[in-house]
Amino acid sequence: MVAVERELPETPGPAAAPTADAIPLKLRRRGGTPRQVLALTLVGTLALALFASRDLPSWTDRLGDGPVAERVEALAHDWDRAMAALGLVKPHEALRSAIRRLLDWQWKSAP
Amino acid sequence: MLFPTLGFLLFFLVVAAAMVVLGTRFAAKKAVLVVASYYFYAQWDWRFCFLLAGSSIVSYLAGRLIGASAEQRHRRIILGIAVTLHLGLLGVFKYFDFFILSANNLARLLGLEHELPFIEILLPVGISFFTFHGISYITDVYRGDVAVCRNPLDMLLYMSFFPQLVAGPIVRAAYFLPQLERPSTEPIPIAAALLLIAGGLFKKVVIANYLATGLVDPVFAAPTSYGGPDLLLATYGYAVQIYCDFSAYSDMAIALAALLGFRFPANFDQPYRAQRLREFWRRWHISLSTWLRDYLYKPLGGNRYGRLKTYRNLLLTMLLGGIWHGAGWKFVMWGALHGGGLAVERLIEPWLGRRSLTPAGKIVATLIVFHFVCFAWIFFRAEDFAVAWLYVRGLGAGWGDGLQQAGPFMAALIAIGMAGQFTSHALFERVATAFARVPSWGLGAMAGIVVALINALGPEGVAPFIYFRF
Repeated sequence: MVAVERELPETPGPAAAPTADAIPLKLRRRGGTPRQVLALTLVGTLALALFASRDLPSWTDRLGDGPVAERVEALAHDWDRAMAALGLVKPHEALRSAIRRLLDWQWKSAP
Repeated sequence: MLFPTLGFLLFFLVVAAAMVVLGTRFAAKKAVLVVASYYFYAQWDWRFCFLLAGSSIVSYLAGRLIGASAEQRHRRIILGIAVTLHLGLLGVFKYFDFFILSANNLARLLGLEHELPFIEILLPVGISFFTFHGISYITDVYRGDVAVCRNPLDMLLYMSFFPQLVAGPIVRAAYFLPQLERPSTEPIPIAAALLLIAGGLFKKVVIANYLATGLVDPVFAAPTSYGGPDLLLATYGYAVQIYCDFSAYSDMAIALAALLGFRFPANFDQPYRAQRLREFWRRWHISLSTWLRDYLYKPLGGNRYGRLKTYRNLLLTMLLGGIWHGAGWKFVMWGALHGGGLAVERLIEPWLGRRSLTPAGKIVATLIVFHFVCFAWIFFRAEDFAVAWLYVRGLGAGWGDGLQQAGPFMAALIAIGMAGQFTSHALFERVATAFARVPSWGLGAMAGIVVALINALGPEGVAPFIYFRF
């Protein structure tokens, strides 16, 4: 918990704030603007809506009661059915079933 | 509101849109970030927002008063009052129930009939983190290490900025407040941020969550039902789980701050590759370990008053670091093990020598440190001290029974988590540099698909992060 050895011997010294940026300078030289951040967040949300529609109904279930929440829930179910009809839920289902098989995987000697 | 949820994504979308709409109006952007941060915090319990605001006001006023006072004695009194208020708040919410319980136990032992009323106090999420922010700011103003914050909005944002609010990293005032003086002119490192988010999601949703539900939770719940091999693998599993869980949160916090135009310090640096215990603490929860070094270990005297006092200060700092995690003997033991370990390491330093180790020596040293850290994690994770002791005793038994709980998938997750400790930083930089050439809409599409895949790989629902409870 104490990074003791960074302390200078015999010097009380000022508190040295950790200054090592988590993202190194050379990676911060190339980048984008807030507008690009918004664009990619929108595109990312759309991609998630397309390929993760299986989890939408369970998320909307947690929104609570009320006419708006019920409408949102119904929309989420409709959207998921539409994505299923387009075959976009197949990667999601394939991965879920693969992970279930991995979870059931046992050592050969296990009972 | 947890990071890996659709609710958070929609929240972030609104914040990102506001940042674009507000353009160059930096003060308005900061105001929006404060409102967004309080909204984010209110999702746990709106009443906690008053605590956060109170803590910010105390810090702001103390900073102004210290800055305005020319007399050292006054400055010290203000510092003392403000730190006491912060610690008092933390103490009430974190340790009040423990003290009532202990007092009642003692009263029963002494044959007293009267018992103190037990009030189950709900621990506000992230209270430790904003308390540490407040204390570090006031202390740094007192020491002259940071300029007095004159803008209340900046103080509110420093204390509440949502990426780090509930589980760190602890960002020092000297590091963050200058970023609030003027808008950053640096480009936003989009590719690196998205890589951190994707990596963090994988660590949390896949590795940490499966290890928790498939191995660690069942074995730690009933250690006497399992043999040594399962207990050993569950210990490794917890070491990987807590690293993946906590560092995932830090990675995502760093990335979200970067996407909003702010820099955060690193909080983890492949801790399980450490060859010395002190090196482990330079790589694990760096923002807390440096905080404890600067605001506890050094004020206690650090290594300035001889060997014995250095060992005492190490032990005290680690004990308090342990108790910070919660009131209980298991955390005391965890802190004592690390404090004792650091003291012993310092004691045998002349015998170990400072020369560089051979490759085989490095492997042995890494294994020793890793297993010591794992041993201490048993006390940290177990329900209480008694269960931890049963667990430790169980490690030596039942080696002929084979593995009941730890299947190949769990072993693979541990191996993947450990492999991440030894990958080169250059790999991350190369991948981030390559992705930086992709247009933002392409990055967005890739990130969306990767997140959808990780989400499909993970278990249903999202478990809260381990460090929320501290």
